[in-house]
Amino acid sequence: MYWSDPRAWSAFDELHSLQREMNRLFDGYESRTSMSRFPALNVWGNEDNVVVTAELPGMEPQDLDLNVVNNQLTIKGERKGDKPAEDAVCHRSEREVGKFVRTVRLPFSVENDKVSAQYENGVLTVVMPRQEATKPKRIEINVSK
Amino acid sequence: MKNTETKAVEKMDQAKPAQELREYIPVTDIYEKDDGILIRCDMPGVPQDGLDIRLDHNELEITGTQAAGKPDGMDLLSGEYGTGIFRRKFSVPQQIDRDKIVAKLRNGVLHLELPKAEQAKPRKIEITTGG
Repeated sequence: MYWSDPRAWSAFDELHSLQREMNRLFDGYESRTSMSRFPALNVWGNEDNVVVTAELPGMEPQDLDLNVVNNQLTIKGERKGDKPAEDAVCHRSEREVGKFVRTVRLPFSVENDKVSAQYENGVLTVVMPRQEATKPKRIEINVSK
Repeated sequence: MKNTETKAVEKMDQAKPAQELREYIPVTDIYEKDDGILIRCDMPGVPQDGLDIRLDHNELEITGTQAAGKPDGMDLLSGEYGTGIFRRKFSVPQQIDRDKIVAKLRNGVLHLELPKAEQAKPRKIEITTGG
């Protein structure tokens, strides 16, 4: 019972995560795929729009590059380091820097030339209007008398 | 005795927000310079008024509540991240000049400057040689 509790600490979990970490270091393959999962995206939709949001703190809007081609949204960017001064001693460095690319397939066809994007408080929001032809339509049912 | 206990429990229940938000640990960089400590926390989606910073003795607590992640009238089709509250505690060993703490929130990153108190700054000790 004890081991099936997901919150309980397990020595095997620790070992598994260590093993994963080692594999990641040595084959280099998984690290590449995990890079392509950054940033995490939430995809939202309603009858009129498709919205993609991403948490990208500490960027400048000009360092972000967005593209919509063939129903695919590509977010490219680079997060630059912000070390305060050369002589500052670093105690902890968890915030990652570097280039990233993420492509996501959109659930609906969108109007490529009407895409708008906003960057506020470190959250990117891309609004893409759906193509007229793919919007849901209410079908009237005629009752024959 | 029992009475006071139940009262305390009731109070705690009331203090809880109606909708429980998930807590996340913000990724953080910490730098130290001669005159102070610099903390940088990634807190995307936290507005200025959603931020709460407390320094109690040597314990620094940073709390940031994210604005609602759901755009109005939209349904989530695929979700890879959740939103909630960023919270993290640090113990600050040096003496900090509390009146001069500066906090800035820019593009979802919290920049916190904790200047060291005058007596905690490193001092060069002159060595005199007895002639």
